[in-house]
Amino acid sequence: MVRMETNTTLTHGIDIASLGRGEPTMSLDTETIALEVKGINLYYGTGKQALQDINMRIPSKRVTAYIGPSGCGKSTLLRCFNRMNDLVDGVRIDGKILLDEDDIYHPKVNVSDLRRRVGMVFQKPNPFPKSIYENVAYGLRLQGINNRRVLDEVVEKSLKGAALWDEVKDRLHENALGMSGGQQQRLVIARAIAIEPEVLLLDEPASALDPISTLKIEELINELKTNYTIIIVTHNMQQAARVSDYTAFMYLGELIEFNDTATLFTNPIKKQTEDYITGRYG
Amino acid sequence: MLEHMTPENTSPILSALNTPAIHRRRKIRVWVDRIAKHSMTFGGISVIIAILLIFFYLLYVVFPLLKSADIQKMQQFSMPAPEAGRTLYLATEEKNEVGVRFTDQGHIIFFDMHDGQVISNITLSIPTDVTITSFAVADPTTRIVAYGLSNGQALVLKHDYKISYAVDNFGKDQREIAPYLEYPLEKEPITIDEQGSALTQLDIQLNEDANTLAAITANGRLLLVSMVKQVSFIDESVTLERAIGELTLGNSKISHLLLDKDQRVLYMADHEGRVWRVDVTNKSALKVEDKTSVVDRNVTITAIEFLTGDISLLIGDSQGRITQWFPVRDAHNKQVLTRIREFNAQSTPITNITIEERRKGFVAADNIGQVGIYHSTAHRTLLVEPVAQKAVTHVAISPRADVLLVEDAQDQIATWAVHNEHPEISWSALWEKVWYESQSEPDYIWQSSASTHDFEPKFSLTPLAFGTIKAAFYAMIVAVPLAIFGAIYTAYFMAPGMRKIVKPTIEIMEALPTVILGFLAGLWLAPTVEAHLPGVFTLLILLPIGVLIFSYVWHLLPKPIRHLVPDGWQAMLLVPVILLLSWLSFSLSAPMEIWFFNGNMPEWLETQWGINFDQRNALIVGIAMGVAVIPNIFSITEDAVFSVPKHLTTGSLALGATPWQTMMRVVILTASPGIFSAVMIGMGRAVGETMIVLMATGNTPVMDFSLFQGLRTLSANIAVEMPESEVNSTHYRILFLAGLVLFIFTFFFNTLAEIVRHRLRRKYSSL
Repeated sequence: MVRMETNTTLTHGIDIASLGRGEPTMSLDTETIALEVKGINLYYGTGKQALQDINMRIPSKRVTAYIGPSGCGKSTLLRCFNRMNDLVDGVRIDGKILLDEDDIYHPKVNVSDLRRRVGMVFQKPNPFPKSIYENVAYGLRLQGINNRRVLDEVVEKSLKGAALWDEVKDRLHENALGMSGGQQQRLVIARAIAIEPEVLLLDEPASALDPISTLKIEELINELKTNYTIIIVTHNMQQAARVSDYTAFMYLGELIEFNDTATLFTNPIKKQTEDYITGRYG
Repeated sequence: MLEHMTPENTSPILSALNTPAIHRRRKIRVWVDRIAKHSMTFGGISVIIAILLIFFYLLYVVFPLLKSADIQKMQQFSMPAPEAGRTLYLATEEKNEVGVRFTDQGHIIFFDMHDGQVISNITLSIPTDVTITSFAVADPTTRIVAYGLSNGQALVLKHDYKISYAVDNFGKDQREIAPYLEYPLEKEPITIDEQGSALTQLDIQLNEDANTLAAITANGRLLLVSMVKQVSFIDESVTLERAIGELTLGNSKISHLLLDKDQRVLYMADHEGRVWRVDVTNKSALKVEDKTSVVDRNVTITAIEFLTGDISLLIGDSQGRITQWFPVRDAHNKQVLTRIREFNAQSTPITNITIEERRKGFVAADNIGQVGIYHSTAHRTLLVEPVAQKAVTHVAISPRADVLLVEDAQDQIATWAVHNEHPEISWSALWEKVWYESQSEPDYIWQSSASTHDFEPKFSLTPLAFGTIKAAFYAMIVAVPLAIFGAIYTAYFMAPGMRKIVKPTIEIMEALPTVILGFLAGLWLAPTVEAHLPGVFTLLILLPIGVLIFSYVWHLLPKPIRHLVPDGWQAMLLVPVILLLSWLSFSLSAPMEIWFFNGNMPEWLETQWGINFDQRNALIVGIAMGVAVIPNIFSITEDAVFSVPKHLTTGSLALGATPWQTMMRVVILTASPGIFSAVMIGMGRAVGETMIVLMATGNTPVMDFSLFQGLRTLSANIAVEMPESEVNSTHYRILFLAGLVLFIFTFFFNTLAEIVRHRLRRKYSSL
């Protein structure tokens, strides 16, 4: 499980003309790019277009947040990164998303491998009805790793990484469903990082949690960004402001504005962004 | 609370909510809620009560089987006509009103069983210088007895009763029983021993074809006089052909002589505790087959009697033990008198054994005034109770086995009412191997009825329980994999459009009457399978292989072709494949049968492997009942798999699991409580299923797990035999017991299943 460190470093400035609408106005010069979205359009089976020509670059080992009103397509876009939209009947996607310069929508791509590299945590904690240990070891067992020593090590490391180890180390073999909601969500994060993905997608990870658990998750996101590229979808603008380095605002399937968080919240360029963050709609 | 508000500070909405109409509505709402709650509670409790009632009704019907016998003294009187001599034999008639006493002085005294009044005292016409030296009783149902005389002659007579109904002074029907004597052979004594030696032991059997008398003479010979009836085919006149057999006994002193009613075997007990078995099939050439020691050293045989049917010997000894013996074929195909079972409830010498005429029960009296009531097949001692202060000298049981007539050493005669409805049942008779008469070894047999009373009913529930489990097992082998795999595919892989067709179609199969399935299985499937046996097995092998090969080939096809079939509809492609494979298997069947199985696979199985082939066998039941339970299992499993939360499957997929891994590791695990209960419900159905097993099996209660043997289940047994069982008879109650066993069976399994399911659900439910 060697992590690939082949992300492209951008050495040139941003050519706004060559990029689509919504390209961040800030400079990503100093960042390594983890994912590059190129002209993604997504249509549901009903003919409705959910994403319209999205173009953006997501920096490595940073937290990128998507904000926007319900139905703006931010979760749909997030699900494009690990091709979870494939599971929805009748979805059609065109455009490219490059991970390490490889298009993840290329027909030859093995979706399971992709999803191992791009982990995902959902809104609702979804631990499997297994022990805590088995939940964390699940991803490794899928890859055929059953060596007890390796598993023990990874489980401990992942639970520590998800700031859960101290709470559960004495009951690793108890059913994960006996944990609190906040613990379950951190367990799910531990489960996701156990297979060392390059990118971690968080789909409103704290929306089902109480404030204390939310705080813990936010702290955890801060720690995780040293090792992982994190993309988070949130309804909560304060949360986006607290945890993210970059923020993208989406509206009606379009990427309206993408900038470093401080700029986007203090000095939005687009009026729609300003209306949204000042609470005029959404 | 709203009533307390003043109108001024009530908003328009609140006042609208406060009108009398709304109040009435609210009250009605509360009432509807209450009624619904109570009627649901009532419904639930009614179900429980109904089940309990069924259970208790079954128990109520079954309970008498478990009761022991009991006896109650009715009358006691001193021996009627004591001056007529000592009693040789006591008997009663069917209605328990008239008793009879045969004395050693040649008097036959009929007496009223209520008070001991002599009804008639008949003196036999025996020459004055001749004494009575022996007495014989034929099969008690014939009521024929014989006196052996000191001049080598024997007098055969029959006691009989004429029942008439007369209207008495009060206008009521009065039953009158008039006893009389008959002479079935000749009124005069017939000569047995031409030498004129006294007959010390005598036995007699009469039937439609032949009359045989056996006697031991005072000078140590066994004589057998047989009179075979010959019907002349010209004028149909009957002549008796007399044959005489003789055997010299030497020094052996014979104490008892018994001839079976078929007049084939003669048993003699001697003073050394041995029983001689004499083959008397050929009446003029008697052959001693063997002499078997039947009692321990220093113990003597004190009573010996045939059990009803004249196959088993009951031997009572001076230690109070009663043993049952009958000839059993040994390894060399030679019959050997074998001890079958023993009864040890009495401890003083057995004075008299008397048998029940219509069951395999008997009564033994002993030296300290006790009688014991026993049943041989059930190996059951139903009662041992004192009935007299001194030794019981004679005991008789009425033809209906409901009255005992007891004579003791103080010349008192007592009548006892016997309540012994169901002696045939014991734990061992129901569930253990029982050594039935004429069987070479103990076995589990269900054979509940026959045309004669001589038949030993065989009430072993073991083969039926075994058949039930066997049928359920084979049905589950067919149903579980098909239903569960089908359900998982339908719920997890199938396109929603196809699922919408497949699921209701399979579920509607549940509505198919089982009688139709049974009918098809018995009349169409069974002969078809028999005719195409190699084809059936080829299909079993070919089908999975063929499907896998086809899937692989399909997988290799170029994409444009594969995309002709929409995702999730690929299962449709298997329909022609399965049809083709079936056709192929069945058309290959006949050539294969000729090439490999000498033209007939069932016969080949029997000659090559010794496997018996029944046309209606477990394979047919497995298929037919499998088809019947598939919809049950399929439907519940499908629901369970389909209701596995989506967030679990997406969670697993998001971790890089393939759909297959997700299904194996998450979906099935989460659905396991549902899958488990589906299997258990299917099994419950298979265990209780009646019509299919009734029609698709031969209903042969055999204990053989072979796929090619028939079976009989508890439920089918009830269905088959209930119409022919007499209400409240032992057989009837045993059928109810079978029902109770089935009830407990399913209750136990369902409870167990519920517990397991509950555990699983607590463990794996993530809802």
